[in-house]
Amino acid sequence: MIILKGVTKVFQTKERSFTALNNINLAIEKGEYVAIVGKSGSGKSTLLNMITGIDHPSEGIIRLNDTDIGHMNESELAAWRGRNIGIVFQFFQLIPTLTILENILLAMELVNTIPKAERMNRANDLLQSVGIPEQANKMPASLSGGEQQRAAIARSLANDPAILVADEPTGNLDSKTAESIHSIFRSLAKAGKTVLVVTHEKNSTSTYDRTITLLDGKIVSQESEIGAL
Amino acid sequence: MNLQFLKAARDLSSHPKKTLLVVFALILGIWGAGTVQVSYVLLMHDLQANYQRTVPAQVVFTSADFDKLNLEQFVGKPEIEAAEFRDFSLHRIEVRPDVWIPLWLYGVENFNAMKLARVFREEGNKVPLRNSILIERDGKLVSNIATASIPRVRIGNTKVRIPVSGICFDPAQAPATQDAFIYAYTDKQSYRNITGMAVNHRLIVRLRNVHSLADVQQRSKALVDEFRTTGICVSSVDIPKFNEHPHQWQLNTLLFLIGSIGFLALIMGAVLVSQLVKSIMAGQIRQMGILKAIGASRFQLFRIYVLMLLVIGALAGLIAIPASLLSGWAFAHFVAGKLNFNIITTTLPLSVYITLILASLLMPALLSVSILLKGTGTSVREALSDYGISQTTVGREFPFLKTLHLSERMMLAIRNSQRNMSRLTVTVFAMAFGVAIFSTGFNVRQSLWELLTGYKEEMRYDVQVVLNKAIPKDEALKPLGSLENVKQVETWIGGRGEIQSKILSTDKGAGIVALPRNTSLLKLTICNGRWLLPSNDFEVVLNQQAMELYNNPPLGSLLPLHIRDKTINARVVGMTRQFERAKIYADKEQYDALLNHDHLINTISFVAKNNDYQKVIALKKSIEKAIAPSGLDIAYVMSQAERVKIIYDHLNIILSVLILLSFLVLLVSAVGMASATGINIWERTREIGVMRAIGATPNFIYALFVNEGMITCTISIVLGLLLSYPLSRLAALFFGKLMLGNDAELTYAFSTSGFFITLAVTLVFGWIASRIPAKSAISMSTHAALSYE
Repeated sequence: MIILKGVTKVFQTKERSFTALNNINLAIEKGEYVAIVGKSGSGKSTLLNMITGIDHPSEGIIRLNDTDIGHMNESELAAWRGRNIGIVFQFFQLIPTLTILENILLAMELVNTIPKAERMNRANDLLQSVGIPEQANKMPASLSGGEQQRAAIARSLANDPAILVADEPTGNLDSKTAESIHSIFRSLAKAGKTVLVVTHEKNSTSTYDRTITLLDGKIVSQESEIGAL
Repeated sequence: MNLQFLKAARDLSSHPKKTLLVVFALILGIWGAGTVQVSYVLLMHDLQANYQRTVPAQVVFTSADFDKLNLEQFVGKPEIEAAEFRDFSLHRIEVRPDVWIPLWLYGVENFNAMKLARVFREEGNKVPLRNSILIERDGKLVSNIATASIPRVRIGNTKVRIPVSGICFDPAQAPATQDAFIYAYTDKQSYRNITGMAVNHRLIVRLRNVHSLADVQQRSKALVDEFRTTGICVSSVDIPKFNEHPHQWQLNTLLFLIGSIGFLALIMGAVLVSQLVKSIMAGQIRQMGILKAIGASRFQLFRIYVLMLLVIGALAGLIAIPASLLSGWAFAHFVAGKLNFNIITTTLPLSVYITLILASLLMPALLSVSILLKGTGTSVREALSDYGISQTTVGREFPFLKTLHLSERMMLAIRNSQRNMSRLTVTVFAMAFGVAIFSTGFNVRQSLWELLTGYKEEMRYDVQVVLNKAIPKDEALKPLGSLENVKQVETWIGGRGEIQSKILSTDKGAGIVALPRNTSLLKLTICNGRWLLPSNDFEVVLNQQAMELYNNPPLGSLLPLHIRDKTINARVVGMTRQFERAKIYADKEQYDALLNHDHLINTISFVAKNNDYQKVIALKKSIEKAIAPSGLDIAYVMSQAERVKIIYDHLNIILSVLILLSFLVLLVSAVGMASATGINIWERTREIGVMRAIGATPNFIYALFVNEGMITCTISIVLGLLLSYPLSRLAALFFGKLMLGNDAELTYAFSTSGFFITLAVTLVFGWIASRIPAKSAISMSTHAALSYE
């Protein structure tokens, strides 16, 4: 379960300060498939960074599965993130000098929770589950955008995290490919993973359990398939 | 394979140019420092080892009374390690038709059982045949003499032909090539036959349990006293520098020189490597963010990149270590050849290999620790949003530039060149340092050259004849009366080593030159006090080496000099600066009155009417011809030009190495500049794409980067030339002290040719260093440049 209480993030520059998030209160249940939407600059990526521990809040508490990540240092956060959160980026961010399979194996090697003997099978299974088993030994640059994003999803699942977060995962993909990526996320949520997706594509919001809309750093609406919460 | 290692290896191979440049920079640094280390270890050890292999004598006693000495009993004394007679006399040998040079002839007791001052067979006989000689191998380089040749030797006033039955090697002697004389060795009987001189007059001794020059001096003094009690009157005691080869100073200078340059090469290589690693790390920041985002800890990231740098170090080491071993040995052989000793080390100490391996492996990682700490410490958010050069970086405005009406391209180049001030600073300083060192090399060379020119101008005679024995002036000049091209003749008494200033002496003591005080043939530069004047005191002027030898007596003080069994209190009135051995100048009139009642002379100086080189050499030859049938016992006939050449030869090796090594420093700094320009271009690849997309032609971009490089180069030249002034002064001071003694100073001199050479070479290097990366900047397509990460 993800809980945010009174989370505020202020960016300070020499010239001015900018409040990216303003007193965010949010609770996301296990197995939920949640979209965070908003215009550019609304604070949705910042919110995602708070949840993944990539950035620290200026104020407030963030709890993920009963762990307060606000008090962890960078190294603790990195290790915790590796075990508990899978991240999917808009530009895929695969390591360009490793094959797709090696990218997944590297994630396992870094976190070291999956026994060595199981890693290869697990990596192949993950590639199978995202539909690109034949691309295992190719370099990222030789794959299409959709295939790279599937590979990135497979990598994000390498250490079997409970939470998956994706920042504009389909922003760089055509609509057909984007739909297939959404269906992967949906099936992952059905399998019990908590999936958070930051997106600006209003059209696809109907596929989510809940859609959280941000405007100027504040939550302005939270809608679910069964209506407003 | 470990995936982290795999990633490191693939990262390196995915940017081959960058990787190769880092490896190249490392190779350069390690090769430079490694060459120095290897040659330093070899030369330092082997000069001493060669010298000690001869079992050098620590003290040399000369006496005509040694027939009273029971040598066996003397050697049996507990304080005596070894002793034997090694007679010595100075003659002349014909090295080419009508070209005579001094011959130092030694009479050896037993070639098969030399306990001291050993010589080693090189070719021909180990033991010379009766009435023949062995020639020291360096003599072959200054003569046509070889085994089985029968050169003419002038012994006193007679000429004899002496067969050469072999070539030997005496590493304890100063190289004959530098002093232009020949060492020869023969057995005691042959020595007597050849020279007609009595033998067993010169005893060479090695003492037990002596640890310093002072120990040797103290023991020698005791031995002289002991000899006296048995009726042996010692006429001279020579004590060479303790455990030191006569040319150790040259080697020390060289080693200091190559040590400094090697250190500089290492520093410059290090700067280069750290700059390049910084650039590689800059390209890896986003990947660090990704790795952190997927669970990598800072330590894991650190390990990956340290691994990457270890791979770079290992690659560089694979080339640099064997290369530095080869060049180190080669350089050591070159220097050993010049100083006439052998490189006898066959295996370098393990520590050399360990140092080189550790330096190769660890240098890139150690140099990059701060960069790695900074890079791996970057937060995930910062790392993921990193797109290379900061968008907030802006060029500074220099209002005066607007008044120059420079082209837009030049203005842009000026602004771009100071976008990364820290890199510009490092590049400019490294390059400026290279320029300064290179220019300093020329300036020091000029200082030395001016010293020699000054020396030439001080000695205003063209040819000098030095006799082995002092004789009446008329007798000396008789055969030389009908020479052509002679403007002036002057006679002196004294000469190097002819008159010992004290019985117990080191480094052959000081020579006394007694000459007319108003002589026009010697105009020494007096750096302290004054030249000789009429006086009731016995006035002397000392050169700086003599000053040092006598512990720097203050001007005006009385210096007790022991000359020809007499002790004279000489008044020190001046000090002169010379590249010469210790010499004391005195007024001949006073000298004759005190010590030379018969007005004998032993030095004849000639001034030529026409002093063109060829005319002077012709005069020298005619002097040789004139004295050939005479009974004059000549020590040497030497022209000033030859004397200057001999001094120049002493310095030449140092000067050559100085220029060569300073050129290498400039080369390394140029490579540094090329790499800095390359880094600038890599970092701005996207910008290049943007510029091309908005219409910049490849020529524009090429010229832009060349202009940027040349701006850096110009700043470096100006700074480097300014820096070369204090550096040249310091270097002149240092080399002056090293070569001329503590009280001497080499005057700073500006080398105009060096200035222009430095300017030209640096501009060419700068242009090449800018051109190569600029060419690569335009080789990428607009699309590739825009999508470059």
